[in-house]
Amino acid sequence: MTHKKPVDLGITEEIVDEFLEALWLIEEKTGVACCDRARISSLVVGEDLVENEEKADSILDQLVKFGYITLAGGKVDFTPGGRERGKNIIRRKRLAEKLLAEVLSVGPSETRTSACRIEHVLSPEVTDSVCSFLGHPPTCPHGKPIPHGDCCKKLAHHMRPLVMPLTDLDPGKTARIVFIAPRDHGRMDRLSTLGIVPGTEILLHQKRPAFVIRSGETELALDIEIASEIYVKQIS
Amino acid sequence: MVAQKLKKLLLIGNPNVGKSVLFGQLTGKYVTVSNYPGTSVEVTYGNASIKGEQFTVVDTPGINSLLPMSEDEVVTRDMLLTEDFDHVLQVADTKNLRRSLVISLQLAEMGVPFSMALNMADEAEDAGIETDFAALGRLTGVETVSTVATRRKGMGKLREVVTKTRPSCLNIEYDDRVEMGVARISNLLPDSRISRRSVALMLLGGDTSLRGWLHSVVSDEAIEAIEAIVKEAQSASREPLGYVINRVRLTAVDKVVSACQRKVASHGTGWRRRLGDATMHPMLGLPVLAFVLYMMYQFVGVFGAGYLVDMMEEHVFGGFINPLTTRFFDAVLPVEFLRELFVGEYGIVTVALTYAIAIVLPITMTFFIAFGILEDSGYLPRLSIMLNRMFKTIGLNGKAVLPMVLGLGCATMATLTTRILETKRERMIVTLLLALAIPCSAQLGVIMGMLAGISPVGTFIWGGTVLAVLLSVGFAISRILKGDPPDFIMEIPPIRMPRIKNIVLKTFGRIEWYLKEAVPLFILGTLVLYAADKTHLLGLIERVASPVVVGMLDLPPRATQAFIIGFLRRDYGAAGLFAMSREGLLTPVQVVVSLVTITLFVPCVAQFFVTIKERGMKFAALTVLFVFPFAVLVGAALNMTLKVLGVTLQ
Repeated sequence: MTHKKPVDLGITEEIVDEFLEALWLIEEKTGVACCDRARISSLVVGEDLVENEEKADSILDQLVKFGYITLAGGKVDFTPGGRERGKNIIRRKRLAEKLLAEVLSVGPSETRTSACRIEHVLSPEVTDSVCSFLGHPPTCPHGKPIPHGDCCKKLAHHMRPLVMPLTDLDPGKTARIVFIAPRDHGRMDRLSTLGIVPGTEILLHQKRPAFVIRSGETELALDIEIASEIYVKQIS
Repeated sequence: MVAQKLKKLLLIGNPNVGKSVLFGQLTGKYVTVSNYPGTSVEVTYGNASIKGEQFTVVDTPGINSLLPMSEDEVVTRDMLLTEDFDHVLQVADTKNLRRSLVISLQLAEMGVPFSMALNMADEAEDAGIETDFAALGRLTGVETVSTVATRRKGMGKLREVVTKTRPSCLNIEYDDRVEMGVARISNLLPDSRISRRSVALMLLGGDTSLRGWLHSVVSDEAIEAIEAIVKEAQSASREPLGYVINRVRLTAVDKVVSACQRKVASHGTGWRRRLGDATMHPMLGLPVLAFVLYMMYQFVGVFGAGYLVDMMEEHVFGGFINPLTTRFFDAVLPVEFLRELFVGEYGIVTVALTYAIAIVLPITMTFFIAFGILEDSGYLPRLSIMLNRMFKTIGLNGKAVLPMVLGLGCATMATLTTRILETKRERMIVTLLLALAIPCSAQLGVIMGMLAGISPVGTFIWGGTVLAVLLSVGFAISRILKGDPPDFIMEIPPIRMPRIKNIVLKTFGRIEWYLKEAVPLFILGTLVLYAADKTHLLGLIERVASPVVVGMLDLPPRATQAFIIGFLRRDYGAAGLFAMSREGLLTPVQVVVSLVTITLFVPCVAQFFVTIKERGMKFAALTVLFVFPFAVLVGAALNMTLKVLGVTLQ
């Protein structure tokens, strides 16, 4: 994917991203992308992306010139290229949120601000890696859909997620622990004294009424809450 | 104390690796051995003669880390910290070498000299695990010996190496921020039995149980400084430092394990594993549980409470001992007043001993045998998995199943076992429920015996009421004592074939303990009744209690006596009811109502004292103040309900 440099138009890549993101969110909410020019302008001003509505209007005009959106009769809509770019921004943002909130246990406000920065810098390759690492999650931590990338399409045919919570592993399968992301720190301590740390190979024996895993000759029973925080990579 | 001080040998190791069995082999003294982690929650001392020298051997509760997670683990860590010992023997489970070596590594960090017994060599062999002892000895730098303690294998060699303890050469370096913290904290620590480095690592790992000890050895300023260093180091790390430290340890240990153990084809564990799997299977688990309960009922209720009690009471006591002693006392004690003390309506022989030996003993014995088999098979921790969900509703989790089920053996012992639970809140909930709704084996047996005489519906009403009380009180108390149900992370021991010798020893030990503890109380209770009867106080009490016993519970006035002695021991109270029911003095409804009341009745004296010891006077007093009226109210409510519904159980 190559972008023409909009530097000559006097706006940054980031502003382009933010506008396309705003339009995507409106489309997601209302079901149609086509919306009043005024609505998107007030949205981006409200988000403090631009100082005022006149500035927003001028940027919208530039986006039209740039070929990302169309403006007909005061209504804004994506061009196919603009929609593709918008989709990728949303995908990067929500994958970043997922990574920060659920894997790295970063707090909600920090997740929000960091994800807003990360969304602009992830390359397509890194984005697909993060997506695979997270097991091609369908939704972000707030439950909104994460648009599919190329990596997810491959998955549908012949790839299993690289890393998944223990709760997604099938009983009888062996896996290696990749990381543990507990809400409670005491839990990590307790698991580690029983030998359950990243790198440990475990066999999932059963999921109900409680999770039972085997590691070497040690057999452990766990709650589902704890199992959902243990991320593994299936071996066999 | 004698002038000559014996050398002291500490047995240390992970839970359920066989420390208590080894202790028994070394000292000839039996401590309860079972197949689940947390059997020993207290320290036991015994004497052993090793190579002509006398030793005091100390059995300690099992630990998974010397950074303790529960009260029983604190006990062991504190032994290492403050006890004046000469040698340490680490007992390891050969097939779980990885987890054992984490302990070895920590002993090495402490600078404690030790040797290692790699126990359960037979199970490792079944699992197809081969160990290179030469390599292990080289890598750890300590004497290692392979043992099968239950079959006395390797014991000769063990006695050889027990005194050849030396510090281990296991040694690791942590990352900079941990090492920096260790260095800074070490400067503030005094010398103690164990290295400053190891204490600093515990503190960095977030150990708060050391606080008491710290206060006794360093100044308040130093403690503040240490806390600041720990805080600083922790804030620089996203992961808890205890976990970071454990990870480094496990990585180091993994290298040792892969250098000295390899797995070849396993053989011989098939049926045990399959049976173990069935007991915790979401579908098969329930029929297994039903089968276990049915077998228990057949053995304890039908064989013990039915056949054996009949034999003992009617033939041994009724047909032989009681007539003989009556004739004996008639001959030697011409005073009616004194004679009745032994063989009268409230006589020590005719009541106290008859109840204790003829009614309760056969029942307790059969229960202890059945329970011992269950304990040693490894079934009980698997039951925890099945009951985890249910226990969540009362603020607990599957881990609490163990003390509760042990309470069916003896609530006093079970109250001690609450130490394996991680939070104070759980320990409080379990202690209360043990005092309220868990009948002990003696009581349970008597109850089973009585219920066997009436319609099976009666059993369901009794069981349903007690279970409902257990769950609803548990639910209420878990809402009052705020907090989240703790994590359910529990180790499941392998299914093992119970060994007859251990069952016999264990049952014998428990019966001895029962006789020592219960019979004096039975005699005391009988004396109280005798005195009350002779002073006409009994009649007065019966009249005073009549509105409750006769009015609310709708029982005969004589039932008051059962409740009076129930204050000493619930099982004695139940035995009193049992005798009444055998004399045909109770209708089936009265049987059920009186049994529900006595089941929920105040905890026995021994349990009360243990509760004071473990939870404090205030908690124990509040428990009794709640339990006593509550038991009567539930009995009364049940009585009324059955009346209104017109249930007769005929």
